[in-house]
Amino acid sequence: MRRALLRKNASTLLLFGLSLFLVATAGPLFASQPIVIGGSLPLTGEFAETGKLIEKGMKFWAEEINAKGGLLGRPVEFKIYDDESNVGKAVTYAEKAITVDKVDLLFGGYPGTAARAVMPVAEKHKFVYVSMGGHMKSFEQGYTFSFGAPPLMGEWWYEGFFQWMETIPADQRPKKAAVYTMNNPVGSSLTGSIQKWTKQLGIEVVIDEKYNLPLPDATPLIMKAKQLNCDMLFANGFFGDGVMMIRAAKALDYNPKAILQGIGSVVPAWIKELGKDGDYVFSGTSLFNKLNFPGNDKLNAYARKEFNIDGYPLYFGFGYAWMQALAQGVEGAKSLDQTKIRDWLKTNKIETIAGPMTFDEKGLPAPINFCTQIINGQVELVWPLNVRTAEPVYPKPAWK
Amino acid sequence: MNSTLIFQSLISGVMMGSVYALLGVGFSLTWGVMKVINVAHAAFGLLAAFFAYTVFHRYGIDPVVSLVLSVPFLFFLGCALYRFLLIRITSARAVIVSSMILTFGVAIILENLALLLWGADPRLFTTSYTSKVIIVGPFYFQYPPVIGFVMSVVGISSIYLFLKRTYVGKAVRAAWQQPEASQLCGINLGRISAITFGLAVASAGAGGVGMGLLYSFEPHSHNLWLIYLFLVVIVGGVGNVLGTAMAGLIIGVITGLSMAFLPYQWVNLLTFGLLMVILVVKPQGLFQSEV
Repeated sequence: MRRALLRKNASTLLLFGLSLFLVATAGPLFASQPIVIGGSLPLTGEFAETGKLIEKGMKFWAEEINAKGGLLGRPVEFKIYDDESNVGKAVTYAEKAITVDKVDLLFGGYPGTAARAVMPVAEKHKFVYVSMGGHMKSFEQGYTFSFGAPPLMGEWWYEGFFQWMETIPADQRPKKAAVYTMNNPVGSSLTGSIQKWTKQLGIEVVIDEKYNLPLPDATPLIMKAKQLNCDMLFANGFFGDGVMMIRAAKALDYNPKAILQGIGSVVPAWIKELGKDGDYVFSGTSLFNKLNFPGNDKLNAYARKEFNIDGYPLYFGFGYAWMQALAQGVEGAKSLDQTKIRDWLKTNKIETIAGPMTFDEKGLPAPINFCTQIINGQVELVWPLNVRTAEPVYPKPAWK
Repeated sequence: MNSTLIFQSLISGVMMGSVYALLGVGFSLTWGVMKVINVAHAAFGLLAAFFAYTVFHRYGIDPVVSLVLSVPFLFFLGCALYRFLLIRITSARAVIVSSMILTFGVAIILENLALLLWGADPRLFTTSYTSKVIIVGPFYFQYPPVIGFVMSVVGISSIYLFLKRTYVGKAVRAAWQQPEASQLCGINLGRISAITFGLAVASAGAGGVGMGLLYSFEPHSHNLWLIYLFLVVIVGGVGNVLGTAMAGLIIGVITGLSMAFLPYQWVNLLTFGLLMVILVVKPQGLFQSEV
């Protein structure tokens, strides 16, 4: 009888002890569950090269944060789908990540068309979505959970250039501009600031034409600009048509004071393939490996080691920067609650490799205005002054 | 609108159109003669352009000179493809559809091969003559389009003369005009078909290098080039070598003139509008099919 009582008491004690152990360890056990960040990237198809760079940037961020103990004390891991460069699939995978995989956070996709299409999905499910967006229109749809950190905005592309041009004495500025723009949303996003600023600076736009892609030949366009004495050329196109404009300008010995090439000249192939002919072209960006904000050196060192190149590739940086912004939202909110993350991001300043940012009601930072110029085969930052890496070359030297 | 700009646009258009014709002539040949629509035709051209780019950067061999190597290689590749792949569908009831599906697969393989070997970055031929021009009065003749034009004249004339003047060329024509009769005369239909396909693929190589002289290219570029192939072949009439050449020139003239007279965003609309009109009014093309 006594033995049975002892046995019963021992069992009760054991049960009590086990319960205590479970209560004590449940917190850390739960805390060690990884935070899953899901979504899709174009890992195959037309945009695969860029998609893979974004993925590498994100993974570099994850390695770094996991080495520091993770996010909210939990490791992070990715659930990355390959959307095959297909916008429809990007939307499907965003839905799947949120509703089926029940991921904790969503990461930004690429290209702008995919990001633009995923933004309403994120809004519907109230998930914070940090990406490059799809130019200004995508941020003007009333979405409250989307952030561009940094965004890639055609509307801001030439801001830096014009701000610098404003510092040039009026008599040294160009007098007449030729504006050739590819007829698509990316091209159209570039033209607003040109109209605003040329008016403000007293530059007459004598040619403002759009062309459909593919551009069959650039010779007539350049000849017209030359005949009308345009001393400023805007070649608002992708790589292929941008190159045709430059080559035609050289062939026809057309020497405007400034050539601006939006979009196409930001790819490394511009310098590699065009060589000296690609020099002195102005452009813009919202992120660059020569920026002096904290983190850029670290990314450059990683790129040197991993890719054997001097500066990190642009989209590697974007992948990293978007995760930086999202992580600061989570850490600031001290929670994975999407509304709390959003509210924290809307009311606090974050630090990214593209610089410090605060967000407006659209989810956008103040216009980013880095102006670049290719000088001696290197992309240099020429404006604003606090990030300048080289003096701009103006007026453009004549073709050799 | 001044006459200099009009004439300059016209010159540029003609040069550009001639290169489209060079790229399109082999496409027209396989379509008209063999009833094979080779959707991979432009991808073979792209392969030659990438090869030219590589030998130029590695060994300094001019892209045009690289054709000495790539054209024979593509000829044998085309022959082999016919013998081992296309021959299986030539007896199918719907050869055109079957060939499109089959060669679409080949195009995907070639595109991915290019991605694997050269990556997705766009490429350019930047030779010593890339920026050179011949100035005649107020007109500028850039070297690359002039070289493309010369290549086109030489390439298309060679194919034309081969088909009209050589025994094998005559056999090609005979085999596809009267297959049974030609076999009775001792012509080996399989061998002649392989030669025809090889010739077409080889001409794609020359066309691809010509396109590379005018435009940047990357592994997906062949999809865009394919549109121009359909354009020149439909306008020129399938299977018609000279028709294809004329179609290239016509398209060049139309593009050049529309660039001079119309807003630039209308140029492609007008060019492809023309294609639709021809398809409706004269579906066999402006020039009669031959071979």
